[in-house]
Amino acid sequence: MNDRALLTAMRLSDSMLPVGTYTASYGIEQYLNEDEIETAAGLGDLIEGYLRGVIGPAETVALGHAHRSAAAGDLDGVFAADERLGAATLPAEFRDSSRKAGSKLLELLADTDDGAAASRSSDPADAADRTSSAGDAAGLGDVAVEGVLAEYAAACEAGRTDGHYPVALGVVCQRAGLDAREAALVNAYASVTGLLAAAQRLGRFGHTAIQSQLSGLFPAMETVCDRYHDADLTAMCSFAPLADAMGMRHERADRRLFMS
Amino acid sequence: MTGHRDVATVGLGGPVGSGKTALVQHLVPRLDDAGYDVGVIANDIMTQEDADRLRESFSDRLPPDLVAGVETGACPHTGIREDPSMNLAKIDEFTERHPELDVVLIESGGDNLAATFNPELADYFMFVISVAEGDDIPRKRGPGVTQADLLVVNKTDLAPHVDADLDVIREDAATVRGEDPTAFTDCKADEGIDAVADAIERSVLFA
Ligand SMILES: Nc1nc2c(ncn2[C@@H]2O[C@H](COP(=O)(O)OP(=O)(O)OP(=O)(O)O)[C@@H](O)[C@H]2O)c(=O)[nH]1
Ligand SMILES: [Mg+2]
Repeated sequence: MNDRALLTAMRLSDSMLPVGTYTASYGIEQYLNEDEIETAAGLGDLIEGYLRGVIGPAETVALGHAHRSAAAGDLDGVFAADERLGAATLPAEFRDSSRKAGSKLLELLADTDDGAAASRSSDPADAADRTSSAGDAAGLGDVAVEGVLAEYAAACEAGRTDGHYPVALGVVCQRAGLDAREAALVNAYASVTGLLAAAQRLGRFGHTAIQSQLSGLFPAMETVCDRYHDADLTAMCSFAPLADAMGMRHERADRRLFMS
Repeated sequence: MTGHRDVATVGLGGPVGSGKTALVQHLVPRLDDAGYDVGVIANDIMTQEDADRLRESFSDRLPPDLVAGVETGACPHTGIREDPSMNLAKIDEFTERHPELDVVLIESGGDNLAATFNPELADYFMFVISVAEGDDIPRKRGPGVTQADLLVVNKTDLAPHVDADLDVIREDAATVRGEDPTAFTDCKADEGIDAVADAIERSVLFA
């Protein structure tokens, strides 16, 4: 990974990224509402279940397919990843959180990352195309006007596709020069820290307890990203029935500080 | 396509219970009577019941789909400052359905004295404090108090009951805010609200 790609990976997995992910708990709020998480270790186990049941076999598969499609200039392939991930995500609030974050990511980059040349596609023919752009301040080049990323962002804004977060992230990471496995790790890290942070704000977990769980989850993140980043889109599945039920009950919860 | 960049936005921040919702409830009829199409976003209303009650309170004035809640994941200041994306998304939903919309009032979740509105979210930022939490609030120089376009000191009716000196508040506010205005309101008696509505009109709607 070159420096620019690494910096972009850090930017995209940083909780500072303003795409609203801090408003999503993907069912964690409801688990806590129902007193279903008692210890930090229990929280870690629960999140490992998310990794093995959803983040790996659903999100990472969608992200990998979107990444490959973007590299091949195949916009329809990106749309297919969006459609299938939406179909595999049962709770309406999970779909909504994911769609909003993905759309906001695309909007944000279109607003901020324009004009400058950057390392992104590994295709030399592509790179040659862009030698006219000057400067190297930004990470992603002119997001608003060029390539699959720009077309995908436009389709999303026009409501022609959903813009789910892992799919948008796959396209963006491909543009930034990250390979699919690296992109999957960015997604897994951002998802896991998002879930841990939601639990920390709602429950009573110590900061060291949360960090222990985070580092303890690294092996599971590596395993699922390794296993699913190049999986076929048709192999996508999502299996977290309890989290799905929590996500649905959250819609009518007595207390709601999170959007999902 | 219209979006959050095409509509005036007014942010109301301030500590828990200072009267933000009460102020919004008094401002909406005035803006409505003045002929403006208004939408209301309330951050962190916690329960569906609260959301329904809020919608109900505007039912003779606003269409129900222009009164909405936005959850901020237990981070009220993040929702209005570091990452206003979910509030902006809600404004976009409003303007897509109601392109004629003139102004959106955005009530922050109750927070501390450091909570300020992101200028890309709110064109005009009001910070609402209450006299009942002490007449020394302005001189603590919280960023909310010092940076707001308008400081609103609410619950003036309670001043005698909590030994708060309105003159002290007025002088301290002038000291820490310089030329920027401060308004005094009593939402219970509906007093002082016209000045706040005028300030909004002058600052973001006539422009
Ligand atoms: N006496 C008096 N009570 C007021 C006034 N304004 C609001 N209140 C009361 O103060 C309480 C809190 O008012 P809200 O408008 O809900 O305060 P808020 O700032 O929206 O509160 P949060 O959204 O929870 O942060 C309610 O009981 C109001 O009726 C006022 O001017 N005078
Ligand atoms: Mg309120």
